[in-house]
Amino acid sequence: MDETGRTNGANGDGQDDVFGEAPFLDEELDHDRLEEELREATAVLDPVPAELRRLAIEAYALHDLDARIAELTFDSLVDAIPVRGAVDVPRMLTFHSGELTVDVEVTGEGLLGQLLPPRPAAIEVLHGPRATAVLTADDMGRFSCDAPPTGPFALRLRTGGEVVVTEWLRA
Amino acid sequence: MRSGTSPATAYDDRPYTRGGTVDRTDVGALVRSAVDGDTAAWKALVDGLSPLVWSVVRAHRLSDADGHEVYQTVWFRFAQHLGRIREPHKAGSWLASTARNECLKVIKGLKRLTPTDDPQLLDRASEDRTPEQSVLDSEEAAAQSERVRFLWQEFEELGERCRQLLRVLIASPPPSYQEVSAALGIAVGSIGPMRQRCLRRLRARLDARGAL
Repeated sequence: MDETGRTNGANGDGQDDVFGEAPFLDEELDHDRLEEELREATAVLDPVPAELRRLAIEAYALHDLDARIAELTFDSLVDAIPVRGAVDVPRMLTFHSGELTVDVEVTGEGLLGQLLPPRPAAIEVLHGPRATAVLTADDMGRFSCDAPPTGPFALRLRTGGEVVVTEWLRA
Repeated sequence: MRSGTSPATAYDDRPYTRGGTVDRTDVGALVRSAVDGDTAAWKALVDGLSPLVWSVVRAHRLSDADGHEVYQTVWFRFAQHLGRIREPHKAGSWLASTARNECLKVIKGLKRLTPTDDPQLLDRASEDRTPEQSVLDSEEAAAQSERVRFLWQEFEELGERCRQLLRVLIASPPPSYQEVSAALGIAVGSIGPMRQRCLRRLRARLDARGAL
């Protein structure tokens, strides 16, 4: 692009209406150029952190066609009306997959869960591609973990010959 | 299953073609290959679309810690849903709107934890500047022209709506207007006029400063 071709050659004190003297098309070109310059500046000043790019590439391991997804259907952060003055309220989450419901409560102390209808299950707590804890749901479908999840997490449940994974979300 | 003829499915209702737009038409094909186990296709998706996800995070001015978690959550969920995404060619919009929802959740969570007039929100916003500043302070940035610094400064001070819109528009490769719409909850039709107004304002500020 020809730098000198800019329409708004007069600078500084003049500063009068850019579009008065510049035909529409020139302004359009100028905007495209400005946008492109911002894009280049972003690449230098605010790029995707290398560590995050790496984590996104590794996330491919989470792609699992055999597992069923239990969708998030209730999140107290979004769906509940806050109680005035209540501090440190637990986060309540509900996931659904077919007839299976997974209720989870996250507090500062840990994680508490309930499978409905009640059934035993082996449960892994995932923070990224690797599991960080292995839990067991008893015959009543109850399970707990004394470390609260931090950051993005999901639960992978094995029950009655099938694998169900809850939708990823941020604790 | 369309092939060849009109490659611009995702761009049909764009008011005009923006310069330098990288061909996103193969996003759908990349998604399908990734579903079939092609690691290179997944990598290409990350390279092509992670700047968009990052721009949404940055547009919402989250703290670094929150921003990193949102970014990861979005990609983890995308990997999880990969084979079930109904319109693979719109994966960019899927990612952008998922990122937006997660950002809004973070903001909602912060408001709930702290009284609304708590300055913490503002503090978090200013934390945002540290990456830029640290780069500016480094040797490498000293070599960067004043010009880029001026440009970035004026951009940062442009006002919230314009800063937010432009931050997403300037992701690289450039997002489609559908993706911008999904990222910010703005109607596709109003993006063009808003972009024009914001860039005009930025140009006026730069001219006033005698820069560029």
